[in-house]
Amino acid sequence: MAAAPKIPLDPSFSDIDRSVLGILRAPGLLYWAWIGFCFTLVGIAAALWARQIYSGMGVTGLRQPVMWAIYITNFVFWVGIAHSGTLISAILFLFRTKWRTAVYRAAETMTIFAVATAGLFPLIHLGRVWFFYWLLPYPNERYLQPDFRSPLVWDAFAVSTYLMVSALFWTMGLIPDIANAREAASGWRKKIFTVLAMGWQGTDRQWRHFSMVYLLMAGLATPLVVSVHSVVSWDFAMAINPGWHSTIFAPYFVAGAIFSGVAMVMTLLIPMRKLLGIEDLLTPWHFDNLAKVVLLTSLVVSYAYITESFMSWYAGDPIEQTMFHMRYFGPWGWMYWVMVLCNCVIPLLLFSPRIRVNMMALWIITIFVNIGMWLERFVIIAGSLTANFEPSQWAGYRPSITEIMITVGSFAWFVGLFSLFVKFLPIVSMTELKEGIVWLRKALRKGYANAA
Amino acid sequence: MSTISIISAFADDADCARAIDALREEQIRDFNTFSPIPSHKIEHAIGRSRSPTRWVSLTGGITGVLTGLAVTIGTTYEWRLNAGGKPLVSWPPFIIICFELMILLGGIFGFAAFMLFSGVPATVTAPGYNPRFGEDRFGLIVRCDEAEAGRIESILKESNAEEVVREEAPLR
Repeated sequence: MAAAPKIPLDPSFSDIDRSVLGILRAPGLLYWAWIGFCFTLVGIAAALWARQIYSGMGVTGLRQPVMWAIYITNFVFWVGIAHSGTLISAILFLFRTKWRTAVYRAAETMTIFAVATAGLFPLIHLGRVWFFYWLLPYPNERYLQPDFRSPLVWDAFAVSTYLMVSALFWTMGLIPDIANAREAASGWRKKIFTVLAMGWQGTDRQWRHFSMVYLLMAGLATPLVVSVHSVVSWDFAMAINPGWHSTIFAPYFVAGAIFSGVAMVMTLLIPMRKLLGIEDLLTPWHFDNLAKVVLLTSLVVSYAYITESFMSWYAGDPIEQTMFHMRYFGPWGWMYWVMVLCNCVIPLLLFSPRIRVNMMALWIITIFVNIGMWLERFVIIAGSLTANFEPSQWAGYRPSITEIMITVGSFAWFVGLFSLFVKFLPIVSMTELKEGIVWLRKALRKGYANAA
Repeated sequence: MSTISIISAFADDADCARAIDALREEQIRDFNTFSPIPSHKIEHAIGRSRSPTRWVSLTGGITGVLTGLAVTIGTTYEWRLNAGGKPLVSWPPFIIICFELMILLGGIFGFAAFMLFSGVPATVTAPGYNPRFGEDRFGLIVRCDEAEAGRIESILKESNAEEVVREEAPLR
């Protein structure tokens, strides 16, 4: 893949444009082979889903009492991944954080694709997917309506609101950049960019309303992001199942979501900056700060694990205590300890400032975090169901090839969509980089670029 | 006396804002700007009131809450499901729906207001637009009587305008 033009140590606005728009040059054969590989996996997953729809849920490993397993794990995992985007684009925007400008577009793009991936899993899990609309209220001759006391209905509202508001926020940020790309493009790209830019010219009138609505959107997205994963956690916490019924789930899940999401941003951006040759735009300064967020949220998540265990012990409920004993030392105990290693122990390396600017070390650590956070959801969701109230109901769970391949397909779908975006629309916000150019110059002068 | 336009380009938004301040002191108010980034300095210099989009977004948020209340309470009475003797109208869970719809409609109304007030999608190019104004230059277009042109040009040059060009047509 051809690298984007290098930018000087004291970049100007034009240098930023040149570097970012340089990414959009026609991709090579290797790129298309990668896209082909990703979407072949998606095709296999789609075929298996079609088979599942045709044959019924018997093709999965779901058996009583473990009726929620990998699909719901994936749903929670992908919603969690989405959270970093809104954290970086909205919450850090409200705090006027300097380093967010270079990474926010990539994180927000990840949000859109992660929510789009997450949204598929309740449908896949539904079995009879053609009845998905039963979750929403609509006029019907039998006066049947959803029960708004059910967390599953809250979920439908929360996740679809999240997708919609994130998409609007992302689109708004893209408009000025696409207008910039329009001026530099030619041929069919120019035509497409002209339509997508919607006639943006950067007049004082346009910026005046843009700035206000962008701020409003950030203000709306901030409580939204907290509410969405809280609602997702209530899917479990509202049930009386041991291992699920816990009051700390909402903050615990939100912290976990930010933890896994920021780790995923880094997992994607570290190879991307190298492949696209934008090391000067995404400097180790940016990754240093992202790593600090990962470290902080890792500590919050570790604290939540300890609190959860303490609550189970202190409450003295033998059923809850048995479930937790099973979680630590039962047949799937190894998963719990791998999760602790990935989420609580390995991220402690990020206390070292040298590791925080070492790209290879960061990449490996964030992959461990991703594995750990997927396992966390699996341990909570499927693990808790294996050891229910009645020991006679206890049972194991073995995922089928359908579930495994659909999971692999979801990763391919997410990475494939992200890879497509990277080459066709500006993955780094030129407008915001220009606004924070003073900070980019400082990062470059500090020599962070060379530290990589 | 014929009206003409003066197109000026600045490398820095502070210079552009200074030029606007100087023009306003001279009671010249028929101008518009182009910029690659949203500039608070330029916005303050122009001195327009805050964008009304926030009121539209607020209306959307209120509509969302009311819609949430109507949908949850209305459908509960349509399908009276007694769940464990809990009250039919259960406020705590209904607040979640109201909250989500408040955010959803607040966001949609806000975005719609942005499009409406900022004239997006625009089918015509604003007069005086130059692609450089999206890249690295701040553009200030002033419309004035031909007799005033000399005075305005000197104000713009004194404010470090890199380029000052006179257009015979009044660009609007």
